[in-house]
Amino acid sequence: MTDHHADFIVLGAGPGGYAAAFRAADLGRKVVLVDPRTSLGGVCLNEGCIPSKALLHAASLIREAREIADWGIAFGDPKIDLGALRAKKNGIVGQLTGGLRQLARKRKVQIVQGTARFTAANGLNIDGRDWTFDQAVIAVGSSPIRLTGWPEDDRIWDSAAALELRQIPARLAIVGGGVIGLEMATIYSALGSKVTIIELSGQIAPGADAEAVGVLHAALERQGVEIRTGTGVDGLTATSVGLMLSCSGEAAAKIDVDVVIQSVGRRANGAQLDADKAGIEVNARGEIAVDARCRTAQRHIFAIGDVTGAPMLAHRATHQGKVAAEVASGHAAAMETTLIPSVAYTSPELAWVGINAAQAKESGSAYKTTSFPWSASGRNLASGGADGLTKLVYCPNDHRVLGATIIGAGAGELLAEMVLAMEMGATLQDVALSIHAHPTLSETTAFAAERALGTLTDL
Amino acid sequence: MRFVASPAVRAYATEQGVDLSTVSAATGRATLSREDVDQFLSGNGPAASAGSNHRRYWDVDHGQFGPVTREPVPRLARIAAANLSAANAEIPQVTHHNRADMRAIEAFRKSLVDEAAARGVKLTALAFHVKALARCLVEFPRFNSSLSVDGETLILKHYVHVGIAVDTPHALMVPVIRDADRSGLWRIAAEVADLSSRAQSRKIRGEEMGGASMSISNLGGIGGSAFTPIVNPPEVAILGLSRTEIVPVWAEDQWLPVPMVPLDLSYDHRVINGAEAARFLVRYAALLSDPRRMLV
Repeated sequence: MTDHHADFIVLGAGPGGYAAAFRAADLGRKVVLVDPRTSLGGVCLNEGCIPSKALLHAASLIREAREIADWGIAFGDPKIDLGALRAKKNGIVGQLTGGLRQLARKRKVQIVQGTARFTAANGLNIDGRDWTFDQAVIAVGSSPIRLTGWPEDDRIWDSAAALELRQIPARLAIVGGGVIGLEMATIYSALGSKVTIIELSGQIAPGADAEAVGVLHAALERQGVEIRTGTGVDGLTATSVGLMLSCSGEAAAKIDVDVVIQSVGRRANGAQLDADKAGIEVNARGEIAVDARCRTAQRHIFAIGDVTGAPMLAHRATHQGKVAAEVASGHAAAMETTLIPSVAYTSPELAWVGINAAQAKESGSAYKTTSFPWSASGRNLASGGADGLTKLVYCPNDHRVLGATIIGAGAGELLAEMVLAMEMGATLQDVALSIHAHPTLSETTAFAAERALGTLTDL
Repeated sequence: MRFVASPAVRAYATEQGVDLSTVSAATGRATLSREDVDQFLSGNGPAASAGSNHRRYWDVDHGQFGPVTREPVPRLARIAAANLSAANAEIPQVTHHNRADMRAIEAFRKSLVDEAAARGVKLTALAFHVKALARCLVEFPRFNSSLSVDGETLILKHYVHVGIAVDTPHALMVPVIRDADRSGLWRIAAEVADLSSRAQSRKIRGEEMGGASMSISNLGGIGGSAFTPIVNPPEVAILGLSRTEIVPVWAEDQWLPVPMVPLDLSYDHRVINGAEAARFLVRYAALLSDPRRMLV
């Protein structure tokens, strides 16, 4: 006997799930939103994007206060009240998740706290209660990958634990130099930890443009972060005084630290759904395959966000969520783009979209690159003159922009112009002939375009 | 074709069930606007072509009505499909019908049986069709022409190449007999045999197709009494052949059993008018009924 029925049910209240739920409600659907957490927002709001940005803001102020000493302004060493900082961060998270709850209420979205598993193609069990549904959206996200063979120890953190801000360890090792690991390094090195990043591949931020990553690498080292690329971790030994990592590869060594953060990637949560009972296949990586309309093998069940595989980014999930809600409600919609920007909120920030030089070369199609170093930007020099680079990949035949990578302060914000340019099919000339305010860092994209066109007078 | 369209235009096309790559192919432009999609949907102007808005109602879950299997459409067939859709949507086509008396050709072929065996070439009726068509193309130059892209210039060709549509397992292919007006029947017969067998085994080269003055689609070997072939652009006409049948023909004071081949001439009405087409097909039938006329 079924207790409950849902017209449109969304499993997971992260950025993808709540977007799907709210969009469907706006289209007139009766929506149920299910999440095991007490608060809405998923990993992004509760233990990902938002709390990390709050701590990164604090880290950036600490760093800037230190750097302004060169200008004859000295603040001295910061006094850090960890409890107050944690409370501030939690307050920001609470404000946003509370806001989501209001948005849900306004749309009459029913929120059910619990963990859902499929029982049939139109059936779910949520914490012991049976539900039936007409249409469902799977938005159950992903979890940090845990390295196998490591002991259970509360000094081994994942990204969520790191953002709880339990303590500032004197010595911190970060295993995995991807975006999450680099942001943790940025936070904890500013708070005073001696940070070592251990990355298996040849560069930190694997997948990003090597030249731009070089700028970030040098900046992190100047901030006192030790980076060991091409280095693997063979094992971890826990003792009463600390943790010892045995590393092999380019920087083979035994490293003694107080805390280790694991940031070796995330794994889709598809395996925990009993999706096979609904006739949906979950692959070995826990992912569910979907088409451009976010449909699974079952026409009435959709999947969005991290559970559909890489790139596991909140803004992709949000767009997919809206597509799923619209398609489910009888509208013709689809994910029409592959342009999904990536940002590492490090200091300096690293942001990219489209293809980089190495990917262009690998694709075999015609390409050229152009760049503008921030050492020639007046605005950048006036703001402290940190290293930065704006680099574009373009097609030499029609001058259309194929990719952009920006390293420097606020790169994540500057990138938006290039995303729009690429979506609109803009050429280098379009970018160069759009007047950018002076002096701004946004000029660097126009300068890079002008450099390729031979019209640059600033270099 | 690679196209550029803003996200709003892409979303609009999806909403309307329009494939932007077909709009791009139809307009010949890389950058597409909302207006291009509207024009495509309304069926006006050059944008109206391949595919149209069929995605809107053909996206059906057929499996709900009974078991189905799916097979991929080969690349060649997909290219052919896009060309056929564009041709059918863009070209105002008329098909004109006639029949030709094949008694003289049948008799002539019979008289050459021994020689054909000695040469190792089968002298088919199709070879005579190619020869007669080549002659007509010389006499009616507008049939041997193409329109420029903007439709403002008629390009008249000073060569006579005849395409032969060949049904193959992979796709419909149209190899071309070059300079058919200057080739003898034996050579034409040998070339037709060679090209069609190589088209079947997919050993035909790209340059052996394309550039035809007109094409022949011959279904005579299979059956049927008439059909309406689709012009193969940028050609402006196509000749369809159906099965030769013995029909009673009133000759002066008696009915005679005469083998007649049905002829179906589809043509681009922008280039050729009806009277011209009728004259073309009358002349063609006359050449077949008395092949000696091809000499004079």
